[in-house]
Amino acid sequence: MKFKYLGKSYNRPDAISKVTGKAIYLDDIRIPGMLHAAILRPEYAHAEIVKIDTTEAEKMPGVVKVVTGKGCTYHYGDNIKDLVPMAIDKVRYIGEPVAAVIADTLPNAEAALEKINVEYKPLPVYVDARDAMKKDAVLIHEENGKYWHLPTLKPTPGTNIAHTYHLKKGAGVDGFKDAEVIVEAEFNYPHGSCAAIETHGSIVWFKEDSTIEVWSSSICPFIIREDLANSYGIPVSDVRVRIPDIGGCFGYKSDITVEQTVAWIASFVPGYPVKWVATRKEDFTSSLIAHGIRSRMKIGARKDGKLVAIQNELLHSGGAYADTAVNITIAATHNSAGPYEFEHCDLTGYTVYTNTPAVGAYRGYGHQEAQIATERMMDLLARKLNMDPIKLREMNYLVEGKVNALDERMWKTHGDIMTCSNMVKEKVFSSEKPKDDENYYYGRGFAAAMKSPKGAPFSTKGCYMKLNNDGSVSVSMGGAEVGQGLRTVVRQVAAEALQIPPEKIRVYNEIDTQLSPYEWQTIGSMFTTQGGRAIIRAADKLIAVLKNTAAQVLKTDVDYLEYNGEFVFLRNDPDIRVAVADLSRGYITSDGITIGEYAHAVSDARLPRYSNPDENGQGSLGVNYTFGATAAEIRIEKKTGKIFVDKFTSVFDVGQIINPRQIRGSVLGGVTMAVGAALYEKLEFDEEGRIKNPHMFKYHIPTYKEAIPMDIEFIETPDAVGPFGARGIGEHSVIGPAPAIMNAIYDAVGIDFFEIPITPDVMKKALEARQEK
Amino acid sequence: MVEKISFTINGKPTTVEVDPGMVVLDVLREVLNLTGTKHGCDNSTCGTCTIVVNGKAVKSCNLPVKKIEGAEVMTVEGLAKGTELHPIQKAISESGAIQCGFCTPGIVMELYGLLEEKPDASQMEMENALNKHLCRCTGYEPIRDGALMAQKLIKERK
Repeated sequence: MKFKYLGKSYNRPDAISKVTGKAIYLDDIRIPGMLHAAILRPEYAHAEIVKIDTTEAEKMPGVVKVVTGKGCTYHYGDNIKDLVPMAIDKVRYIGEPVAAVIADTLPNAEAALEKINVEYKPLPVYVDARDAMKKDAVLIHEENGKYWHLPTLKPTPGTNIAHTYHLKKGAGVDGFKDAEVIVEAEFNYPHGSCAAIETHGSIVWFKEDSTIEVWSSSICPFIIREDLANSYGIPVSDVRVRIPDIGGCFGYKSDITVEQTVAWIASFVPGYPVKWVATRKEDFTSSLIAHGIRSRMKIGARKDGKLVAIQNELLHSGGAYADTAVNITIAATHNSAGPYEFEHCDLTGYTVYTNTPAVGAYRGYGHQEAQIATERMMDLLARKLNMDPIKLREMNYLVEGKVNALDERMWKTHGDIMTCSNMVKEKVFSSEKPKDDENYYYGRGFAAAMKSPKGAPFSTKGCYMKLNNDGSVSVSMGGAEVGQGLRTVVRQVAAEALQIPPEKIRVYNEIDTQLSPYEWQTIGSMFTTQGGRAIIRAADKLIAVLKNTAAQVLKTDVDYLEYNGEFVFLRNDPDIRVAVADLSRGYITSDGITIGEYAHAVSDARLPRYSNPDENGQGSLGVNYTFGATAAEIRIEKKTGKIFVDKFTSVFDVGQIINPRQIRGSVLGGVTMAVGAALYEKLEFDEEGRIKNPHMFKYHIPTYKEAIPMDIEFIETPDAVGPFGARGIGEHSVIGPAPAIMNAIYDAVGIDFFEIPITPDVMKKALEARQEK
Repeated sequence: MVEKISFTINGKPTTVEVDPGMVVLDVLREVLNLTGTKHGCDNSTCGTCTIVVNGKAVKSCNLPVKKIEGAEVMTVEGLAKGTELHPIQKAISESGAIQCGFCTPGIVMELYGLLEEKPDASQMEMENALNKHLCRCTGYEPIRDGALMAQKLIKERK
């Protein structure tokens, strides 16, 4: 199909405001009368609070109020209400809010913070789920099981297990009896941080009229609104949340993160807006962290390479509060079958309370944590079968007609993994790899990737559009622009749907729950799919409004009219027409009598037939998968163990490219993040649960000189749900890099790794150990 | 304790009365309301707070305000002339170098410090300058493209 405005690299609508420094981010907002808060964090990761003395702090200059958790009677959370805005009698992780100072300036608030004295009684600390699950482990939440939770969640009272998810397909574990070859291994994807360049922050203002105003660097304003209304017993309509530009998210600004804490603090000074912005250290220690998933995977196959059964047990060290981790556990568990068909699946995931910051979303949301195992296992199995690892995969891909772990049948519209795989094979593996030389070992590794959609029963996205009287269009939505280029997508999809050039379509800047259409939250690479569909549905309604008015103007039936973005006209005689611009406010006749209605429309779109998991942990996720294939070409420095990724190749079936420059940018960024996770990034905890590297100079993210040359290509098998056949791509590129690099390391030096990051130190030690053998 | 400190900001002379212990980033953002310069990491690692002082790109988050007494200070707000973007801004805004945009002001000012002084900067000099900046979105390739495009535009301008 030929498109007029899709497949072209239009510039971002926000590019100029960002390059001139005029884009407004959370910390750039100033409100008259605004006060500043600083938050005290504990000395222990797990301890009872014996006493808090705030007297000295209260006397400090500029201090308006010192706040503790005393008197807080509510819990909050979207999935499990296990969260409190500030520690009450116990701290459960090292970054937990213990007390806060509100002052006229931030330096005054920070100075007073040092005068607060807290007495603790330390408790045992568990950083790893394996320790927190031991029979004699102290409970991190005595209330586990008693908290309100979604009916689909299964906490185990009297333990630290917040949720157990089990999926059974076919005969489950009994399926292994049909297997002729079995491989088994354990993997670890350690804790990390999204580490966006903008830290978290919020402004909360409890007003004298009992309404609440919030600004936040968050991607889920509507959830914050409902949650605060619920906590403070006011109508949802009395909480107004606004989202300015966001300086990167990558997951950890989803769900409720800092807003409830800032609200609790601000609730003590009604009438005054209170701003809090995380320091970089707090962004590491006191917002959501990532991953923390161990898995023990077993795969059974026939001798010819046909996969038969998979078993996986995932232990998710979910952090001190499990509200945000549980869905990642579920996603990691059912996605651990990867892009392959297994007749029998037995997949179990445990979300376990531990004494780290709560684990939350990170670009990829369970997929890379699970598929690091699957993609390594494919290579291990191929080795055991003495088969080519890509050929083994080709025999088992979830191609059209195959059925995935969730029992969803794959249709042609789910995309063509075989072509992606063949393209990567041709690009990377059709020639000989370089021969080892004096300084380097060389290796190549492959990894396929599958990303499931992410929904919820009410996970819709709304779109409001109005036609202006010059034929231009204003579009408002509730989707958060975090840098991914969502506004560009909105503009181009709306242009295509309305046949009006992008230059005449103005896309919203800010989200405001009072004015913006409802959106569940901007997560899971779902905006293009669902948001795009909402745009098309709104456009269809708008065009219907225009035709209704035009039918009266042209004195004909509605179904006899055509629309082309500029005119509504008679099908048989295009010269009998009325300009779209003239229909915008209804049609004003020469005597001033106006006919028809104002040309605007609102619509929304959710995932068709999304359902909750059934008793086997299966169900429809909403028919929107994306598949791809990747490969790493690496070089290992003999002297240092340093791994260089000389090229990373990615091919994804994205259905329809909307903006070529942006989609390449998305994959460039995603691969870079994932290579960071594979080679450098890990949040280091000591035995007391303290984070040893909560700074950018200690938590190394990829730098300019570490940029990786990339070969990125897309194929376009139109999707059934997304706008004009497009599907999501925001997270998919992070799935392949770690296993592809690990497979490449084996190819280079014959060493198997099961855990990341593989730093030069780790690699060097492994090379030395190999030599000793 | 408050001291008067005078300097020019984006071409205009100014005097602020501040605690001399304040860092320039806080003076720009909290005193002068120039919020285009961003606060990213607290310890001069990320580079988004970069400004240009007397023609040199420097990080403003660890620069005591006393150090800019009498200096010529440029921030990202000072580059465009009305709606006419500086060539660096034009290049960076069109190359795909902008996603979330939070590292952008620092990168623009780094290039401004380098290329206005040295339009023929070598590849190594460009790499060394840009390596002072962290970007979590783009994978850096479009930043390199934008920087090269900016260099070309600046050379053509002269």
